Amino acid sequence: MASDPQAAANQRFVEGLASRLRRKQVVGSRATALETLLVLRQVVSKARFSNIDQLVEIIRSVGRRLVDAQPKEHSVGNTVRKVLHHIREEYHTATETTASSSTGKFSIAKFVRQGQPRNNPVPMKSEGKPTLRENDPDHPDSFARGLKPVLMEAIQDVFDELETVYDNISKNAKDHIHSDEIILTLGMSQTVEFFLKAAAHHRNYTAIVAETAPSYGGREMAQSLALAGISTFLVPDSSIYALMSRVNKVILGAHAILANGGMFATSGSLLAVTAARAYSTPVVVCAGQFKITPLWNLYHEHGALDFGDPSAVLGFDEGSLVDKVDVVNPFYDYVRPELVDAYITNDGDHPPSSIYRLIKESYDDEDIDL
Amino acid sequence: MDVYQEYQGFLKNEEVSPPLAAILSLTEMMERSNAGTMFELVKELKDGAESLNKHSPNPISLNAGCELFIEFITLFPHDSASFSDLKTELIKQGRDYVAEALTYRRRIAELALDFIKDDSVILTHSYSRVVMQTLLMAHKRKRISVYVTEARPRGLGIKTAEKLTAAGIPCTVILDSAVAYAIEKVDFILVGSEAVVESGGLINAVGSNQMAIIAKAANKPFYALAESFKFHRLFPLSQYDLPTHHPTLLSFPISQHRPAPPMMARPSVMPSRPGDESLTDDSVSPIKFTQEQIARNNPDVDFTRFVFIWRSTELLSRSP
Repeated sequence: MASDPQAAANQRFVEGLASRLRRKQVVGSRATALETLLVLRQVVSKARFSNIDQLVEIIRSVGRRLVDAQPKEHSVGNTVRKVLHHIREEYHTATETTASSSTGKFSIAKFVRQGQPRNNPVPMKSEGKPTLRENDPDHPDSFARGLKPVLMEAIQDVFDELETVYDNISKNAKDHIHSDEIILTLGMSQTVEFFLKAAAHHRNYTAIVAETAPSYGGREMAQSLALAGISTFLVPDSSIYALMSRVNKVILGAHAILANGGMFATSGSLLAVTAARAYSTPVVVCAGQFKITPLWNLYHEHGALDFGDPSAVLGFDEGSLVDKVDVVNPFYDYVRPELVDAYITNDGDHPPSSIYRLIKESYDDEDIDL
Repeated sequence: MDVYQEYQGFLKNEEVSPPLAAILSLTEMMERSNAGTMFELVKELKDGAESLNKHSPNPISLNAGCELFIEFITLFPHDSASFSDLKTELIKQGRDYVAEALTYRRRIAELALDFIKDDSVILTHSYSRVVMQTLLMAHKRKRISVYVTEARPRGLGIKTAEKLTAAGIPCTVILDSAVAYAIEKVDFILVGSEAVVESGGLINAVGSNQMAIIAKAANKPFYALAESFKFHRLFPLSQYDLPTHHPTLLSFPISQHRPAPPMMARPSVMPSRPGDESLTDDSVSPIKFTQEQIARNNPDVDFTRFVFIWRSTELLSRSP
């Protein structure tokens, strides 16, 4: 396989992204998801395989490589899982033979899982479809050639979903933000930015943005919102609790949403959300579906967080202090599911307790461990 | 042969749980049946399920199995030429499912492994085969130690402790009343299940509910393991909505000097009537509270509301 020039080219592609991920040259869940998708498209278009298992294995090995390069960017793994799910679906529709009637496959186990059988008439249009033959010894490439167009379509679907994710999330913005409300947000999340701006078309509301030290993403956010004509206040992080009594809703972005309904979000989120809980202020999280990760952060482990450059907290110019203290700059907080009221995704609004269902629907069980 | 005897025969197998035994006995029934139409067959099965329900002292999980199987049969899409073909097919389906379902505990044990971190202290309740399998599997890869409640009156917790100790897992039996005392040492609670109801609540051996409440108060995870055939179409709002509840549970002893109170579904304190001499009469011999009498007066299972459950690790979940 390695001697194959195309496989070698693929290898270079994958390694390229892997090292950029490792060096944190690509950061952010959407950016990494997009990059992953580009690599997968490249890999699939060049890959040589004669049955579906080989193809799945190729994609999984790429996925493993990328996930190992940067395990904290969960959307990389999610994108790979999503692509695998779509590919399997396409493969099943492409190879559906006329012979199999639905009764043959129907069993109690399936009934428990899916409920009442749907009486879908068996499609009889297979004459027009070129038959896909797996493991054809004479034409080892014929399977790949037959399947590739639909595979490309499948990847394109995931691509389109990523491209339109902000629009789809902000579609319902006006249902969540009402006139004269005071909204608190923090950090720089493009999802939230789009969401708030979309709401501003219909509603007249006030945004309070915490500046979110040490990245100060909040400043960027406040500037952007103010430029869009939203009345915006920029406040220090320490005043979040004091202001909470006046806030109607907290709207946050997420880095990754976990299977139990909890999430990783910019550090400071836990502070804001806990303050919101004290005042019973609703907490709403805007996030694309690609952030939903089949992972449980059960023990709230310290190492589950990602640590950034500590010089933002204590610069090297503070020479006398630097060797006396340990400085850490965690990127993310883990927010427990009980503290979140709703997730707004491009696939509709969900309570934290039903996130695991979305995972079951969007990924195949066998891909949970890549 | 009697369906119930057959059911008990299937239950003798250590691996077979009540819902599966119920499905097996219904397939046996189907095999013997000479029903000529679907309607007759379904009626026979329903009667069989009814008689199982009547004979069994704790029919909840059995009902879940019967309902699943009968519902499956009524919805089974068939294009068989003859009714006997269809019947053979259905019998085969039933047996295949049971064979498949016997592997579920293993799957759950594998899934649950990720929830158990190294060096965990786990509290479990009574005896559950799925919990046993999970703990035994976890023991192979991680260091665990287990507290198990005694689970009076049947004392099944002792069985759990003996089996775990034999496998080399450090295990201690604690009193049912010592759960709140032990909770601070515990990382999480792991229980099995009798049935999982529509609200997401759990029906399990009595004592599970108080453990869940204590776990909630102590902010410890409470996990329930359930095979997917234990999902039950039931929506209890309180303990007394369970099919196992009957008026004698939690009833007050009847004193000879006091007229028997009318049977009531809900136990409540009897209002003392003025002039009731039994209250002042000290010569009455005191009622003896024996273990059997206590056991008779107490429930086997209780219902835990969804809010107390951290998460059920379901193998598969039925779409709502």
